[in-house]
Amino acid sequence: MSKGLVAGVVLPLVAGLALLVTLGGPVRASDDVDLQVTALAKDGRVLVSFRLTNGFTSELQAAIRSGLAATIAYEIELRRGGTLWFDRTIATSTVTASVRYDNLTRQHQLSRTVDGRGEEPRLTEDEAQVREWLTVLKRLPLFSTKQLEANAEYYVRVRARTRPRVNWLLFWPWDHGAPTGEARFTLIQ
Amino acid sequence: MLTLRDNSPASTSARPRRQVSGRRPFRDNPLLIIVSIAMLVAALAATLSFGSRSSRFSPDFLTEFVLYALSAADLAMILALVFVLARNILKMMVERRRGLPFAKFRSKLVGVLLGMTLIPSVLVLFVGSELIRTNLDRWFNAPMEEIVASANRTAGDYYRERQKLVSDTSLRIATALAPLGFPDAEVTKVFDVIKPEVAPLRTSMVEVYRVVLGRGPRSEVSAVAEMRVPTFPSDYNRVSADRLAERVASGSAESHGFEPLGGGGELLRSAAPVRGKDGGLAGVVVASDYLTGEMAERSRRMTDAYEQYSKLKVLKKPMFGVYISFFLMVTLMILVGATWTGLYLAKRITRPIQMLAAAARDIGAGHLDHRLEPETSDEFGSLVEAFNVMAAELSNSRQALERSTQDLQRQHQEVEARRRYIETVLERITTGVVSVDATDRVTTINNAAVRLLGLGGTNAGMPVADLLGRPELAPLLALIEGAGSGRQDPPAQEIALASEGRELHLAAAATGLHGEGGATEGTVLVFDDITPLIRAQKVAAWREVARRLAHEIKNPLTPIQLCAERLARHFQSAAPSTRALVEECTKTIVGEVESLKGLVDEFSQFARMPAPKRIPTNLPGLLTDTLALYAGLFREVKIECGAPPAMPLVRVDPEQIRRVVINLVDNSIEAMERRGQVVVEVQYAAAERVARIVVADNGPGIPANEREKLFLPYYSTKRRGSGLGLAIVRRIIAEHGGSIDVADNEPRGTRFIVELPV
Repeated sequence: MSKGLVAGVVLPLVAGLALLVTLGGPVRASDDVDLQVTALAKDGRVLVSFRLTNGFTSELQAAIRSGLAATIAYEIELRRGGTLWFDRTIATSTVTASVRYDNLTRQHQLSRTVDGRGEEPRLTEDEAQVREWLTVLKRLPLFSTKQLEANAEYYVRVRARTRPRVNWLLFWPWDHGAPTGEARFTLIQ
Repeated sequence: MLTLRDNSPASTSARPRRQVSGRRPFRDNPLLIIVSIAMLVAALAATLSFGSRSSRFSPDFLTEFVLYALSAADLAMILALVFVLARNILKMMVERRRGLPFAKFRSKLVGVLLGMTLIPSVLVLFVGSELIRTNLDRWFNAPMEEIVASANRTAGDYYRERQKLVSDTSLRIATALAPLGFPDAEVTKVFDVIKPEVAPLRTSMVEVYRVVLGRGPRSEVSAVAEMRVPTFPSDYNRVSADRLAERVASGSAESHGFEPLGGGGELLRSAAPVRGKDGGLAGVVVASDYLTGEMAERSRRMTDAYEQYSKLKVLKKPMFGVYISFFLMVTLMILVGATWTGLYLAKRITRPIQMLAAAARDIGAGHLDHRLEPETSDEFGSLVEAFNVMAAELSNSRQALERSTQDLQRQHQEVEARRRYIETVLERITTGVVSVDATDRVTTINNAAVRLLGLGGTNAGMPVADLLGRPELAPLLALIEGAGSGRQDPPAQEIALASEGRELHLAAAATGLHGEGGATEGTVLVFDDITPLIRAQKVAAWREVARRLAHEIKNPLTPIQLCAERLARHFQSAAPSTRALVEECTKTIVGEVESLKGLVDEFSQFARMPAPKRIPTNLPGLLTDTLALYAGLFREVKIECGAPPAMPLVRVDPEQIRRVVINLVDNSIEAMERRGQVVVEVQYAAAERVARIVVADNGPGIPANEREKLFLPYYSTKRRGSGLGLAIVRRIIAEHGGSIDVADNEPRGTRFIVELPV
């Protein structure tokens, strides 16, 4: 290879990219974010509860206070483990919890959808309620047990995605490190 | 640019034709290149324009689309750049390893162009990134944040204060209405309660609802009274007030509400429950405060400013990423463009030369029909035209050369055939031929010459002076030198050579070889063995002499003999002394006449020897019978006879051959003075198809210088004899187509060898 080509092209290119990455620096999500999931089969429904601990980050609060509509979308999968093959997804559901803050009236408008079906929005001034609204969902009857096999073990996997995104790697916008939680349950009939 | 055109039929059929199709490649299409550059510039402009508007993008669009798209585009371009660079670097490495021309030049050109572009681009990228970071930090400095936050707080406090006033009003009215006995309170009393509260500077509107128990879990409300100030906007819609009342009636904690109005302005609402006499929920009071359009808009604008500022602050990092990605994209576009331009320029410059070099190699390999097709009229086009002219001339020259070569080959074949013919003739003929070149070195000498001159070994190439260095061959050398030196060839000469007692007569002629300019290129010496001819001439002469001698002598002999006998008879009666003298004289005369008659008979026989009557003859038997005649004649001579166990019959005249054997045996016996050993042997050489009769004695032998004279008539070493014996032997053998030779016998004596064809 030509020495001129190495000196004139390759080295500056590699050095430039390395410097850009260093200059941009990674913006990492908070490491202690945890998604705790519990699942319970009762009355023909699978009731799913989850709590996103430390998910109400300062960045998210800042985004809310800026008037941006903040949403945490929970993608819930009902899956059954396989021994010889990949785990099978039986059903999926998406629950979104949104909040929009009005700086003039100082009220939060809370809204929630389950698989696209919306509930009546609420207004509150209490930030703790907002946190609860966004990060805690209890006993959501998301799946029917009719499609499940009795006395079999299943698990519910929940992945939380926050919008607007407040953490990512520079030059790597693809989502990484979205908090995920699982809960296993056995359908006893 | 140019393409390769191959006109040779072989190339068009066997080899893939390297002809470019009608569709020109991208790199050779200026219109496409211009369009591509225009599209690249447009993409850059669009990118910059797009980037300048990024602050107005919605967060989701910014983070979910723009960032993804830009990052994907950047990664794609980085991969494309790395791929193009890696591909071309590998290609250049391979080309340089193979020693292809201009590989080094191409790598240098691309490296320089890319380096010249890359370094400033990366620097601009760094500086631009820092500028963006600095500007973004400057946007969100503390004073600005404080200002917008204060404005927001002011607007919020104002709203909160107005909200509190409305809330207090609704609570106060609700407290005042409770004693009226809801839900059955009189409407007039209700109006009396709310009337003092509705005034321009206090409350804009008050609505009172009665709670009606519904069928469901939620309570229903029914409007009882409504009072508003005259300045209240006409586009008021009471639905929101009804909903707020229902919520409060249902026990909800949400007692506040805001309702933007279409014509500007905003309503601040507050609801308060009215208790009945039993303390239960019996009614709802909704008090509304109207904020004028200007006031509401100003407050909203302050809040919007704060929210915009806050949003930008929240989206500071994504926006920074977007700007950096834009910058990186522009840089990568420039780099990709520079790389492609460098490669394009390098290829544009080197490709025609490479194709010329390849075409030159093709032509050098013999494909003279290859042509390059010029596609431009610039210097390269002229170069290609000159190259094609050169190739055409080379092709024509080659065709002419091939024709000449074919002619030469044909001539060479003809010459070679002629040479082989002449060589065969020279090898087969009995004429000796010696040719020498201008440097007097022997170029050709045939077998006959070697045999006649008694030469041996390889003679071609040696100086002719060495070849003919023997003294007896000096006349031949002189003849060659004479032919080579003069303009005219010397006349043919008869040269007698004496070697080992044998006399060889040669008729020799030398001819000079002259080139086109008359220069002497060599000499050819031709000589024939005319010894048999000389011998035949001599024999013929002697035969004529013998015939005449016999004729002239024989005729007077009879009268002489008769006269002598008559004298003897006449002197019978003479005196005894006379008679004795006469008888003695006449006896001598008659004896000598008889002797002369015998001599004349031999001469006559030599002169008139008949042609041989050949019949198949058993030679060993013939010899045995002949030698039997000597049995007991010579007591001190031992005669032995030898013959092979089997041999074919030989067509000879038995009588003449018998005479030959007798003559040879007689000569041997006489040479040994009738004491010694004579061996007569018959041999058969099957390969040569020759029968040999060898007569060997152990006598004194014959000197070498006298051997040739042995076969001449009247040559004899004996005291008696006519000297015709061996001459007759030679003639008989010659008449049979054979030959006779004489040599020394081992350990002593003479050996006559007669060869007869079988």
